[in-house]
Amino acid sequence: MPRIRTSYLVASLLAFFLLIFLIVPVGKVIYVAFQDSSTGALTLVNFVDFFKTSLFRESFFNSLYVAGMSVLIASLIALPLAYFTSRFNFGGSILIQTLGIIPLIMPPFVGAVAMQLFFGSNGSINLLLDQWFGINIPFMKGLNGVILVESIHYFPFILINLSAALNNIDRSMEEAAQNLGSSGIRLFRKIVFPLAMPGYLAGAALVFLKAFDDLGTPLLLNVNNMLAPQAYLRISSIGISDPMGYVISVILVVFSLFALWVSMLASRGKDYSGGGKGVSGLLKRDMRGWQKAGAYCLIIFLLLLVLSPHISLVLLSFGTIWSYSVLPDAYTMAHYVEVFGTTREYITNTLLYAGLAASFDVAFSVAIAYVVLRTKVIGRQWLDYIATGALAVPGVVLGIGYLRTFNDFNVPIIDKPLASWWVIIVVALAIRRLPYALRACTAALHQVSVSLEEAAENLGAGKTATVRKIVVPLMAGGIVAGFVTSFATAAVELSATLMLVTAESDAPLAYGIYVFMQSAAGRGPGAALGLIAVVVVAFGSYLAHHFIERNKRMQATLTG
Amino acid sequence: MSLATRVKPVRLQIEDVHISFGSTKVLQGIDLDIEPGEFFAFLGPSGSGKSTLLRAIAGFGPRPQGRILIDNEDIISLSPWKREVGMVFQNYALWPHLTVQKNVAFGLEERKVAKAEISTRVEEALDMVGLADLADRHPSQLSGGQQQRVALARTIVIRPRLLLLDEPLSNLDANLRVQMRTDILKLQRKLGLTTIFVTHDQEEANTISDRMAVLDKGIIQQIGSPMELYDYPVNRFVAHFLGTTNMIEGEVVSVDGATVLQTQSGLKLPLDMAPDARHGAIVFRPQSVHVNPEITQTSAMNLDGTVESLEFLGSTVRYGVKVGEVTVLAEEDHQRGKPIYKKTERVQLVIPQKQVLFVTE
Amino acid sequence: MLLRKNYRKMTGRFVLSVGILTCLALPAWALEKDLTVVTSYPKDLTTAFKQAFEKQNPGVKVEMLKKKTTAGVKYIQETASNNSSDLFWASAPDAFEVLKGDGLLAKYTVKAVGIPDLIGSYPINDPDGYYKGFAGSGYGMMWNTRYLKAKKIPAPKEWNDLAKAVYHGHTGMSAPSRSGTTHLTVETILQGEGWENGWKLLKEIGGNFHTVTERSFGVPDGVNSGQFGVGIVIDFFGLSSMASGFPVDFVYPTVTTLVPANIAIVKNSPHPEAAAAFIEFLLSEAGQEMLLDPKIRRLPVRPETYAKAPKDFPNPFIDKTIGAKVKFDVVKSKDRYNLVNSMFDVMITYRLDDLREATKAVQDAEKAMAGKSNAEAEKLVAEARALIAVLPIDENKSLDNEFSAIFKKKRKKATDKVTGRQAEVEQQWDTMVKSNYAEAIKLAKKAKSML
Ligand SMILES: Nc1ncnc2c1ncn2[C@@H]1O[C@H](COP(=O)(O)OP(=O)(O)O)[C@@H](O)[C@H]1O
Ligand SMILES: [Mg+2]
Repeated sequence: MPRIRTSYLVASLLAFFLLIFLIVPVGKVIYVAFQDSSTGALTLVNFVDFFKTSLFRESFFNSLYVAGMSVLIASLIALPLAYFTSRFNFGGSILIQTLGIIPLIMPPFVGAVAMQLFFGSNGSINLLLDQWFGINIPFMKGLNGVILVESIHYFPFILINLSAALNNIDRSMEEAAQNLGSSGIRLFRKIVFPLAMPGYLAGAALVFLKAFDDLGTPLLLNVNNMLAPQAYLRISSIGISDPMGYVISVILVVFSLFALWVSMLASRGKDYSGGGKGVSGLLKRDMRGWQKAGAYCLIIFLLLLVLSPHISLVLLSFGTIWSYSVLPDAYTMAHYVEVFGTTREYITNTLLYAGLAASFDVAFSVAIAYVVLRTKVIGRQWLDYIATGALAVPGVVLGIGYLRTFNDFNVPIIDKPLASWWVIIVVALAIRRLPYALRACTAALHQVSVSLEEAAENLGAGKTATVRKIVVPLMAGGIVAGFVTSFATAAVELSATLMLVTAESDAPLAYGIYVFMQSAAGRGPGAALGLIAVVVVAFGSYLAHHFIERNKRMQATLTG
Repeated sequence: MSLATRVKPVRLQIEDVHISFGSTKVLQGIDLDIEPGEFFAFLGPSGSGKSTLLRAIAGFGPRPQGRILIDNEDIISLSPWKREVGMVFQNYALWPHLTVQKNVAFGLEERKVAKAEISTRVEEALDMVGLADLADRHPSQLSGGQQQRVALARTIVIRPRLLLLDEPLSNLDANLRVQMRTDILKLQRKLGLTTIFVTHDQEEANTISDRMAVLDKGIIQQIGSPMELYDYPVNRFVAHFLGTTNMIEGEVVSVDGATVLQTQSGLKLPLDMAPDARHGAIVFRPQSVHVNPEITQTSAMNLDGTVESLEFLGSTVRYGVKVGEVTVLAEEDHQRGKPIYKKTERVQLVIPQKQVLFVTE
Repeated sequence: MLLRKNYRKMTGRFVLSVGILTCLALPAWALEKDLTVVTSYPKDLTTAFKQAFEKQNPGVKVEMLKKKTTAGVKYIQETASNNSSDLFWASAPDAFEVLKGDGLLAKYTVKAVGIPDLIGSYPINDPDGYYKGFAGSGYGMMWNTRYLKAKKIPAPKEWNDLAKAVYHGHTGMSAPSRSGTTHLTVETILQGEGWENGWKLLKEIGGNFHTVTERSFGVPDGVNSGQFGVGIVIDFFGLSSMASGFPVDFVYPTVTTLVPANIAIVKNSPHPEAAAAFIEFLLSEAGQEMLLDPKIRRLPVRPETYAKAPKDFPNPFIDKTIGAKVKFDVVKSKDRYNLVNSMFDVMITYRLDDLREATKAVQDAEKAMAGKSNAEAEKLVAEARALIAVLPIDENKSLDNEFSAIFKKKRKKATDKVTGRQAEVEQQWDTMVKSNYAEAIKLAKKAKSML
């Protein structure tokens, strides 16, 4: 049958791409983990060493602890935001939702510096606390700092997924419960939240994974005894090829996949969305005076908390000198003048790279989601698993892997190694951000009833036409969401790109920030550049959000 | 060519079709021959495999074993989009992101019909279902009945060779259902389309179809016109499924050279032939039973019993009469002033032999 | 209708903007890039030299590819098979040693004359002729004046000051495994003070650390923002921070180390002539003078350039306290490079909390002891100090090539054999260090309780 052949063809293309740009490069780097360093023979002795070494065991548990606590704190931040905006008629819901996503766009280096200036042991908050009460709270000390930064940074994953799930609940479910006498928080706890559980779990799993694997945050807070920094420190030291770095990478990858698998098991058979024929989205109610005031206070507090790195970034970018004081000494436009004067191409490069990478990601994700959910290709689940596994591959490992794999391959016409062509940066970004787009697109396709596709085929549309005219438009919301997440996070990605930039003229923003942040005078311009990144990306996501909301209103019902 | 121009109707033949989902066999040994222009119904309880069979004709679901022929051409390996078999989905499957006009135009666009023609044909189709003025709405802005009509228009606009309808009326309220069913029938007659209609409602099937197939557990139980099936069910299932019936189980025994069916309590009922089976049941409709006052008329098929219940159904009165251990239902026409039998009253039931069927399955 | 149109419009716009962006970016790779310099130096320095060199050599374009030293080394190693870099330009000599060891550098003989062999006691050029020193930098201490004032801490003058209790929790340094120049400082202390005493001093200083930073720039960054008060930094970090207006100050201790800054031509460089010209420019009088710029601030290797320097500019060719005390043994440093880094990490970086706690306990006990005399307590404290100072290996072992090979084990041939594994050895050290620190805490607490 032709349709089987086509689906196998598409699946093989997808698999081939993942093989070339993910498995082979990563394999080339981490096979060292399975090699006896003295004889070169295959062995598992390095893994034995890992578990025998107390530092690594400690790091493992620290990473686990940080990831767990981050999920907890991130949930505490995301739950009220999701609840209030989806449950009540609330002025500025879209604004809140958009602001709630900004923390995902934390530019490298400056983000951590900004957090230190605010929450650090001698940051604004502690200076004030010391002045007023004579106390000092170690927000940023050791693992606390990592947990704080990770939860603020990644809670939007829970917010996005949970809000989406809440908005997809069939209203009759809630009405039935009300009809049987349930209301308020009880209703939310017993009916609404369980129905939104798969969305919450998907978000929580992402937060867990990112906090578990994240390298930048612990490194910039100088916390060494966690897995990711241990891997990085051991991989990137001069002249050392200590296999432990790669062992840790393998363990990170395996453990992350395990966490994903557990979250998938936990939500299996619990996906209730999209099945009903009623109006989806919770019944929105008006709040009474004091309730409203209370809710606004809570939301404003949470937004202030999660936006504090960005608020601090604004101060940093306009401030002259900010050192051991609550606020900068004075304000100036000079940093922006410098940035616009010298580094415009960083911005255009970033838009190009992140835009291409995110477009590629959504296209690839739609294809994978389609193959996985709509075809019978044997082993199709593995496309999903492997693509999602990219989440767990440290950026440095991918960067080194690309150098190793593609340096000897000269691109025809331009005649230079693929590894030093700017396109490879796009590919690296795309692979690193693929999992985000994939989750969004898979969820979106889940919600498209198969009969809508069958109806198109029945009327004479082939698979391709059906996908193009029916499936993709119906997935638009998810595709846009996936695009935004991939784009926003790719725009500030550092680790892999730093390794792959071979010419300043090809460099993206993150590299520019890195360069600025290497000198004392560069802090202000670095912050300015970081803020520009945030503003550009945030504006993009606001537009996308707007689009999704309208889309949703248009198709309020009938997805049965 | 206008929509209403009759196309040459097609014949659909299904030969020994088997369908399984993994290891569960859902349809077995399906054989059907549907005449050109026929309005055919698949009737059966939920889960009997009606939708699976219908979808197989449209090319969806697991690939069937056997043959499906349209005008002697086997379509089993044809992709759904090449079959020219129009299907109306149970949930309508209207695309929420497209307007009514766009939904209906879709199939024509796929066929690369010229723009101008598309718009006239869409208009015509919408006209035919009475929705011409709602063309610019989105599906979410329509009522259930209107959505149904859009789904129908969307299907017929491509002039399919076959029209398949999967429980198209089940989401509508009772009045609308009756209305729609006549509309569909009228449309079918007008277009002369060979049509298959899936339903679990026997009244629906009876009123609308020329012939029908009763399915149970993935097997076709019986094929025939509604009246044939009603009058001559071949087995207990069909008898039960099509309307109220009396069924009395027993053993086939021979008494004084005559074959009778003996119930558990010893009641002996005459059979007009000698079946091979040792067990069986006699089947007769309540309206075949006449209720008389307890005056003995000696005929083998007269049963004495006691009135146990009575229900007033408007045109008839339905009595439950206890005969031995079985309760026999009997329906009497109702006329003003006609005497009514009371509960506990002794009555005699008269069942004409030719109204009685013997079934073994 | 509306929705559909919008969808189309959005798609259209998106495709359009991607197209435009692609066109914008095309010149980026169409440009001819002549000379590619992989460097760890900040913008201020690289931009100045790039512009001056391009002006002097019209037609040559310089691409400054900024990578952290470690990443730069990795980059050159990984791309060696299809090399596109011309020069490697960074401070840490050991990074050059690694590349040289891998055969990734090209020999070059400098044409410029008038450059002495030594700066301080450190040889300016690679004796094997692969990399050339073009400047020097001294190590010192920078501090945040607001911080010290608020916490009433005196400004430090000497390395030993940083071991004092008053600095506990207020200092920071970068790990030698992360920063080649920091490694040089650690090695200088080990060579100057001797193996045992050097480590003892390092641990005493380390016990006061607030942080061991991952990047060398993390130290000036931390001091500038007031995360901690005092940092051990290379001079230009301190001086450029001052120049940028941060409330910080910098001193060279009376005995400091000098770190040369180097440049080398990468093997199979695509543009060896332009690369050589760049080196010659760097070493020319004009190039050397540029180092005096306050934003760049490196010590020139041409003695006569100092005549043009501002008044209080240190001159290592005259002032013999700068980097002259220690006769630096490059071979020794190179042989145990990874081993010293690993020891520092195991004893200080990764066990910072334990070390800090032990140091605090000892400092508390000593404070309680001040003015009193309690022989037994003194003995306990001395024991505690000794426990903290215990080393897993002695100097001979550190120079045992077979042993230190465990930490290199970059196998070049399949027949290269190494016995033992780094993880195994580090675990043994860690166990020992951890229990020693714990024991020291116990002893010091006991001593304190006796007072
Ligand atoms: N996708 C499927 N996978 C497995 N079993 C199925 C699937 N679809 C239908 N079935 C089974 O096939 C049988 C017939 O289903 P269906 O044709 O939908 O019944 P009907 O339309 O008569 O109610 C049912 O027992 C049902 O459980
Ligand atoms: Mg059905």
